[in-house]
Amino acid sequence: MRRKVCFLAIILLLFMIPPVSAESGKELVENSVHFDNKVVTLRGEVVGVLTRGDSAWVNVLDNEVAIGVWCRANDAKKVSVIGDYTHIGDTVEVVGTFHFACTEHGGDLDIHAENFTVLASGKVVERAPDLLTVLLSAVLVALAIFIIFWLRRLREEKSKIVPWPMSWT
Amino acid sequence: MIPAVTREDLKIIGYNLGKICYVTGAVLFLPIIVAVIYSEFDTIPYFLIGSAIAFILGCLISHFLYTKKEMELKHAVCMAALAWLLAPILASVPILLSNATASGLDACFESVSGFTGTGLTLTLDIDHLSHSINFLRHFLQFFGDGIGIIVVSLSILGKTEMSSVLAFKGETKDMGMRPSIVRTSRMIIKIAVTFLIIGTILFTVAGIKAGLDPGTAVFDGLNHSMTGYATGGFSTHSQNLLYYHSVWVEVAAIVVMVIGAINFNLHYVVLGGRRREILKNIEVRVLLFMLLTFGLLVSANLLFTNFYTSGEALFRKCVFHVISAQTTTGFQTVSPSHFMLLWPVFSMVLLSAAMVIGGSANSTSGGIKMLRVGVLLKSFWGDVKRALLPKTAVVRGSFHNIEDTPLTDTVIKGAAMITISYLILFSVGTAITAAHGYGLEDSMFETSSALGNVGLSCGITSPSMPAMLKVTYMFLMWAGKLEIMAVFVLFGFVILCLRKGIKK
Repeated sequence: MRRKVCFLAIILLLFMIPPVSAESGKELVENSVHFDNKVVTLRGEVVGVLTRGDSAWVNVLDNEVAIGVWCRANDAKKVSVIGDYTHIGDTVEVVGTFHFACTEHGGDLDIHAENFTVLASGKVVERAPDLLTVLLSAVLVALAIFIIFWLRRLREEKSKIVPWPMSWT
Repeated sequence: MIPAVTREDLKIIGYNLGKICYVTGAVLFLPIIVAVIYSEFDTIPYFLIGSAIAFILGCLISHFLYTKKEMELKHAVCMAALAWLLAPILASVPILLSNATASGLDACFESVSGFTGTGLTLTLDIDHLSHSINFLRHFLQFFGDGIGIIVVSLSILGKTEMSSVLAFKGETKDMGMRPSIVRTSRMIIKIAVTFLIIGTILFTVAGIKAGLDPGTAVFDGLNHSMTGYATGGFSTHSQNLLYYHSVWVEVAAIVVMVIGAINFNLHYVVLGGRRREILKNIEVRVLLFMLLTFGLLVSANLLFTNFYTSGEALFRKCVFHVISAQTTTGFQTVSPSHFMLLWPVFSMVLLSAAMVIGGSANSTSGGIKMLRVGVLLKSFWGDVKRALLPKTAVVRGSFHNIEDTPLTDTVIKGAAMITISYLILFSVGTAITAAHGYGLEDSMFETSSALGNVGLSCGITSPSMPAMLKVTYMFLMWAGKLEIMAVFVLFGFVILCLRKGIKK
């Protein structure tokens, strides 16, 4: 019985592991010569779309490395969310030819997409202020204002001149 | 005999550092406007905390170290050296609180890199960084290197002419444009703002042409204009300028980088109508000669190794990076690991040489500076002539930098001193980097980038690099910005305190 459970668990785990056919951005950049002019697969988050007529550049971020993908403008239009501070961009899969110094694009490192698929839609990231940080900032600002006025009073008492804020007024 | 350090000396330095705290505190307020525009309200407390700490520190220092005494040269130089440490530490607070970097040391590194206009970065996930923190990174370069902390302090809080002149020298910005130092400071700010506007327009138009939406184009344009003019090199994207895949953005960058690498005094006289001065100036001539020589050599090297074969690629990858290195900007359109793994050693060494030489004196760029290189070349040529001419012949040298200046032994000695100091620090930095297991040419490349306040990276600079290297590069960036001598004066001052104590 225990053996059967173990066997089933292994099978389940195998199904849960994603396919490993895609190259990571870092792998592509660090082994550029090896992958040059070969068809590669890149999966990652869209962090930029720049449309140029019928074509477009889609910058895809994977494993801390972003790579420019040259694709059809219609493919780029499939991207609904671009990654930034308040968004996680769409996850896309690109199958295309990798160039470490593309002759068509002034020596840029790029992938010319043959197949462009949006795997998952991006989402909004809620960025709520941290209560502790807000409190700390309020206390420090209050302290700064208090110190400015306290020192001003001291200065008046001792007839000392502190350059700020008088010199600004 | 050098007199012992007195309490009054420390008060004079401390009191003037208080002003720097005020200015840094005010600078940390600016990104709040960006945070409001982009509804990034969660980031506002970070800037308030940083700003409040700076103001509190400034108030306390100014009050308890209050003095009416004027600065002497030693105070001014020590104050400038310490200001370039204090301001980055204060500005690193919002960067640290926003978790933009992995640690406090990394936040300090980022801030030092910003203030000194270097551009080496340890920021994590730049593509998901908030607009406000991104703006802060770029503004630090414009404010710190593009204008100068002390210049700003003088313009706003300028106290007396004597103190101002000395502080100005401490920050390695020579006076001479206007009779009054405060007016000179204001003129530097005016020139910087004028070119900032021009640069923003250029980058925005190029960005829109590259396919950006107008809002992003303006934001990116403003930030890149700030870092381009400051010859800093920070970018709003992890790919740096490669993000745009656009020759127009790169051309806009070249224009702004070259403007930033030219002497403020030259800008002033040219804007005043003396346009012929551009071609007569020794620094412009050396800059053009270097760009042409290095550009041709790097292009030829990469062409013959079949790395880049088209004319466009040679311009966009070879010439662009030579200009970026020579002007000490650090804008990059090649992946850092390509520099380390694929570029030929010869090209890497040439780029390192360009970074060590740097741009013009009294400009936003770093490095040894064109003026010193020009002076040394002229002096070398003079010695060759002297050897060839009869004994009775008198060889007189001069160079043209706004006005004709005789090539005296004092001028040559000054240029040689700084050059030798740079080369010593460069060797030490390279040795420390190589000791961490990196190749010699990569170590030379990254060290010259840090020391020359450039920012081009072959991938050594990353959050995972050893703490010892981070500290070494921070020191090199700081020493490079201060043109080394101020650092030695500060060390001398500290040694004097330790050996002779502090007298009343």
